Amino acid sequence: MNITNDTDNKTTTIHVAGRLDFEAAGAFQKEIESAVAAAAAAGNALIIDCAGLEYVSSAGLRVFLVGARAAKGGSVPFAVYALTAAVKEVFEVSGFGRIIDVLNDRAGALEKVGRTA
Amino acid sequence: MSVARTAVGAEAAALGPLQSFLADFWSSEGLSEAERFPFELALEEVFMNIVMHGSQGLTGVRAVVALEHVDQAFTLTVSDTGNPFDPLAAPPPDTEAAMEDRPIGGLGIYLIRTMMDVVEYRHEDGHNVLVMHKRLGAEPA
Repeated sequence: MNITNDTDNKTTTIHVAGRLDFEAAGAFQKEIESAVAAAAAAGNALIIDCAGLEYVSSAGLRVFLVGARAAKGGSVPFAVYALTAAVKEVFEVSGFGRIIDVLNDRAGALEKVGRTA
Repeated sequence: MSVARTAVGAEAAALGPLQSFLADFWSSEGLSEAERFPFELALEEVFMNIVMHGSQGLTGVRAVVALEHVDQAFTLTVSDTGNPFDPLAAPPPDTEAAMEDRPIGGLGIYLIRTMMDVVEYRHEDGHNVLVMHKRLGAEPA
């Protein structure tokens, strides 16, 4: 699993790629928690680019939930976008698509968190 | 009909080799990569459940993973020597619940039941046996 992030126009983007399984979930959780804390302090939004994410299990899914809760607690606008078919299926089956904003692409995510594309 | 099986200790470090075992068998059978996902997911969810819960209070718990490809169907069977546990007896999570009300966890078996055609549990000769079966090549729902 590969995680990078960048910040531009008051928006932090985490790019997550590879396999988000039990083993990778801990590193992703650290990344997302520190990004939420930094975004809250700076008044930034946080969006997660999942275009390269090939696989997610329930262990990975719960990190998205932890991240969404932390973002809500810190008043950080939060959205995920560009889910691959397998990841999208997991979000839909679990009902996470109803509690986390999932957008098709970056433009949609930026609009959702109140930033112009 | 093709079958393959492997046995491992119930340790988190065995998950990677088990996924490779599944991936290698899958490609040797010439199956569509896009259809492997539900089985990868089931393998992780079931095996990690054995590692984290089925082995509690025990040492030397073993798991056997068996793969079977017959015509247009695939069966994943995971058996283990851990504590007797019927994952199908657990109540389903409330997938309609609001974010604040979501328990963190408990989703794995629900994902498996939703994505597989058939999931069966039995306790046999001191082993938990979980059989997961799905037809391949079906149109997505």
